[in-house]
Amino acid sequence: MIRQIARLSAIAAALWLAACDNNPHPAALRETDDDGTKWSVRYQNLPEDPKSFDPQYSYDQMSRRVIEPVYDTLLEYHPLKTDPYEVVPCMLAEMPKHEVTADGLHSYVCRLKPGILYHDDPCFPGGKGREVIAADVHYILQRMCDPRVESPFLAPFAESVVGMAETNEAAKKAGDKLDYDTMNVAGFEAIDRYAFRLRLKKPFPQLLYWMAFQCMSPVAREAVEYYDGKEHDGKLRPDFRKFYAVGTGPYRIAEYLPRQRVRLERVKNYKTTVFPSDSHPPEKAEFLAKLAGKQLPFIDEVQMTILRENIPIFILTRQGYLDGMAVNKDSFAAILGAEKTLSPKYKERGMFLEVDREPSTFWIAMNLDDPIIGKNKKLRQALSASYDPATYSEIFMSGVAPVATQLLPPGIYGYQKDRKNPYGYNLERAKQLLAEAGYPNGRDANGKQLELTLEAISSGSEDRQRSEYDQRHFERLGIKVKVSENTFARLMDRQDNGEFQISSGSGWGADYPDPENFYMLFYSKNVPLAGKNYCRYRNPEFDKLFEQMSVMENSPERLAIINKMSDIIAEDVPVILTFNKQFYTAVQPWAERTHNNLMMEGGIKYLVIDPEKREKIRREWNRAPLWPLGILAALIAFAIFHAVRWNRRQNA
Amino acid sequence: MKDFFAHWMTQNFLVVAGIALIAWILWSGAHHERWQRAWVRLRADRGGMIALWVVGIYLFIGALELIHLPNGKGGHHSILDVAFANRVALEKTYSAPLSDTLLSSASGEKLTGTHLLGTDTLGKDVLVETLKGCSTALVLGGLTSVIYIPLGTLMGILAGYFRRWVDDLVQYIYTTIASVPSILLLISLMMVLGKGLFQMSVAIAFTSWVGLCRLIRGETMRQSERSYVAAAKALGQTSAAIMSRHLLPNLMHLVLINFVLGFSGVILAEATLSYLGVGSPVGTASWGNMIDGGRSELSRDPLIWWNLTSATVALFGLVLSLNILGDSLRRAFDPKRG
Repeated sequence: MIRQIARLSAIAAALWLAACDNNPHPAALRETDDDGTKWSVRYQNLPEDPKSFDPQYSYDQMSRRVIEPVYDTLLEYHPLKTDPYEVVPCMLAEMPKHEVTADGLHSYVCRLKPGILYHDDPCFPGGKGREVIAADVHYILQRMCDPRVESPFLAPFAESVVGMAETNEAAKKAGDKLDYDTMNVAGFEAIDRYAFRLRLKKPFPQLLYWMAFQCMSPVAREAVEYYDGKEHDGKLRPDFRKFYAVGTGPYRIAEYLPRQRVRLERVKNYKTTVFPSDSHPPEKAEFLAKLAGKQLPFIDEVQMTILRENIPIFILTRQGYLDGMAVNKDSFAAILGAEKTLSPKYKERGMFLEVDREPSTFWIAMNLDDPIIGKNKKLRQALSASYDPATYSEIFMSGVAPVATQLLPPGIYGYQKDRKNPYGYNLERAKQLLAEAGYPNGRDANGKQLELTLEAISSGSEDRQRSEYDQRHFERLGIKVKVSENTFARLMDRQDNGEFQISSGSGWGADYPDPENFYMLFYSKNVPLAGKNYCRYRNPEFDKLFEQMSVMENSPERLAIINKMSDIIAEDVPVILTFNKQFYTAVQPWAERTHNNLMMEGGIKYLVIDPEKREKIRREWNRAPLWPLGILAALIAFAIFHAVRWNRRQNA
Repeated sequence: MKDFFAHWMTQNFLVVAGIALIAWILWSGAHHERWQRAWVRLRADRGGMIALWVVGIYLFIGALELIHLPNGKGGHHSILDVAFANRVALEKTYSAPLSDTLLSSASGEKLTGTHLLGTDTLGKDVLVETLKGCSTALVLGGLTSVIYIPLGTLMGILAGYFRRWVDDLVQYIYTTIASVPSILLLISLMMVLGKGLFQMSVAIAFTSWVGLCRLIRGETMRQSERSYVAAAKALGQTSAAIMSRHLLPNLMHLVLINFVLGFSGVILAEATLSYLGVGSPVGTASWGNMIDGGRSELSRDPLIWWNLTSATVALFGLVLSLNILGDSLRRAFDPKRG
C-alpha cells in the first residue's frame, strides 16, 4: 500500500514538474490565423502606463507608443531615413501641395487615399467601419478647438491656421452648449470627398511634421459621441478621452489592463501602407529586399507588458520572453564585452546589437529669474564649465551617450558636427570664471560661501546617485550645493512656476525634427504657462531671430540664423548642456530590426518576427537544472531515514 | 540663527557637550551604590565588556568625523578627513576591493589609489564611506535620544505618580500613537517634515517614546508604593521634589538600558527610511543609503557586493553590540530577574 502511494506521488510530481513553465505571458489571442498559418506574437515591455488613447489629447510617450500602431497619421516618417529625417505620405495619397496666392497667403492642399476604413466597431451602423473622408480632418480641428478636449496641440495650430483661434474663443463661450454641427474652422475647406485645403495665417513649414503626429490622425465623430463614458441601456460605455480607440491603423487595441499589459491585434482589412522599397541601408539590404513592397503589418499580435523595474526586463530578455531590450546601466556589463560589442555569451546566442540615437538633448536648467543665478552670466558659465558630462555618461549611461555640444541634437537641421561648447568641461577655467563672477574660491566679497539649491528627482537610489554626482561636481568650485528632492510631477510644477534655482533631469526630445521645436523653449513669449520656456530666458535679439527662423523653409539663410541662435544660447548659458541620449538595444535572434528610426514610437508595423525560431531557442534557454531537486530529495530522504531510526530506538 | 547652527564651531561644541553630558551622567551615577554594584557585575560579564568596547570604538570613529577643524582655506574638515579620508584617492566609478583597475569591462582604466573595500558608483572609497556612516548613525541616535528620553521619562513619571486623569490622558496619547503602524507613521511624518537628519530624529522620536513611557509608568507605580516615597510625603516634600530627587534616581537604570537598546532601533529605523527613499538627504554618508544603492548593484553582472556588505556588516556590528550591551546592563542592574 505504502509503496503504491509513493509510486503514485512520484508520478504526480514528475507530471507537475513537466507541466511547469516559466513563461510569464498569457496565451496568445489565437493559435493559428484564418488561413492556417501560425499566429505570430511580439513581446515587448512598456515602462509606464499610458495616460489616454485619445490622439488629440495624449502627448506623453507611453500613450504614443500604444496609439501609434492604432491610428495612422496623414504623413509619417520614412522608417529608413534618419539623417535627416523625412516625412512621406501615409493616409494622404501624395505630399501636401504648398500654394501661395497672389496676395501672399499660404495654404496646403491635401488628398486622402480613397478606401481607408475605420476599424469595425459597434459605434458604426451595422458595426462595420466606414471610410475616412476629408470631413474627418475638419472634425479633428474642431476637437482641438473644443476646450473640453483639453488638447495640448491647440497653441501651434491656433497661431498659424486661419480661424482656429476664433473657433476656440467661440467654443469657450458656448461652454456645454457647443454644437459641432454649426462649429466651423474657417481655414478648412473641403474640395471634394477626399481632398481638402488648409489655409494659413503665416508660413507654417512645421505643419508637415504635425501631420506625422497622432494629433492630426482622423477620428470618427460617431466613435467620440458613442463612447462618452456614460451609462446607456444599463451598460457603461468606455470614455473615448480615456482608454478607448477606434482607429485607422494596422492594429486595434484588444486589451488594456492597467499596470499589467496592453495587447494589440492586427486589423484584417488594413491596406493603407506597404514596406518601403527605397533607402535600404547596405548592411541590411538583403534582409529588407524580401520585405519591400509587402503589405504591412507583419506581426499578428503585440503584447506590451508594463514593467517598471529594470531587473525583470533583463531577466525576461535573458530567458527569451521579451523580443528586445534597451541595455541599461545594470545589465550593460553583462551584455556588452570589451570594445562595446556583444559579449561572447550573447553573441553565441545570435543576438543583435543596435545603437539607438534619440533626437534629444539633456541639460541642467537654470532659472534666469533667480536673483543670484539669473543676473550673473559668468556664474552660469562657471557652473557649466565645472560640470563633466563625459564621466556622467560613463557612470550612468555606460559611456554610450555622447556629450552635448549644442542645444540641437544630431539629426536635426542646423546641428553642427564640429561645434564646441565654449563653456564645456574645464575645471581651471570654471574656477577663473567664478572669480570673475564675484565669487573667488566660491566666496563672495564678505567671505560668505555661495550656496545654491539643486532641485532633483528622487524616485530611487539611482536618482540619488545622479544628484550626488551633480552636487559633487559643482562643489568642486568651493561653493555649497543643497539638493532638494522632488517627485517627477513636483519638479515639473516647480519648473512651470519658476520655483527653482537649478534643476537637474531636464531635457527635450524632438516632437518633430525641426530646430524650431528646440528654440521655442527659449522664446520669451513661451514662459509658462504659455509655453515651455521654464528657464525664463528673455533676449530680444534671440526672439527676433526665432520669429524669423520659425516661418522659413530650410535654406542657407535659415541655417545662418540657426547658427547665430546657437551662438547666443551657448554664450548666455540658460542651461548646462549634458548629453544626447543614445543607447544600445539588444535584439533577439528571431526579431531582427527592420529600422532604427526613433522619431517613431516603435514603428511596430514594420517589425518582423520568426515565432518558430523563438520557440526553439526559448526552450534551449530555459532548461531548468535538475540537480537542486536531487539534493533536496536526498536531504528529505536522509531526514526520514534518520527520524525513523531514532523513533525505533526510542520505542525499543 | 540658521547660520549659527550650521557653523562648524557650533557643531563641535554640541558634540563635545553631548559627550560631556554622557560622561557626567555616568560620573554622577558612579556615586550611587546601585550603579557601583552593577559596574562590578558588568565587568565580570565577558560578552558585555566586549560589546562595550565595540560600541566605544564606533563612538570614537563617529566623534572623529563629527569634530571639525579649519582647513586653512576658509573652510573646514573633520579629523577623520585630515587623518585618513583626504589621503584616499577619488576614482571615476566602481572598482573591486584591492583591484587596480576600474570595474568597466571596456576601458580597464588604472586606479589612482588602492581601496581596501573597493569604490562605489561615484568612485568614493567604500571604507571611508562606511566609517563616515558611523557619524550619521550616532548623530541620529543621539539627537533622537535627546528628544525622546526626556519626553518618555517625564510622561511616564507624571502618569505613574499622579495617576487618575493624568494617567488616562498619557495612556490615551500613547495608545493612539502605538495603534498606527510605526513605519507608516514614520514615512508620513518624513513627508510632512521634509528631508534632513534633524527632521528624521523628530519623526523617529515621535514614534519611540511610547515604549519608554510605558516602562517608566509601570516602574513609577511600583516605586510609589514603597515606604521611602511615603516617608518623603509625610515629611511634606512637594511632588516635584519627590519625583526628581527620589523617584528619578531609582528609575535611571531603566532609562540607561532603554537608551542603549533604543539606540539600535533608531539606527535600524534610519536604514529602513533611507532604503525607502525618505531618509538621509543626498550626499550624507549613511548605511541606509548604501544598502539602498546596493539593491540594484546586486542584480548587476558582474555583481557588486562590497558596498552592501560593508554597510551591512557595520550596521550589524553596532546594532548587535548595543543589544548585547543592553542585555548585560539589564542583568547587571537587576541580577534577580536577569
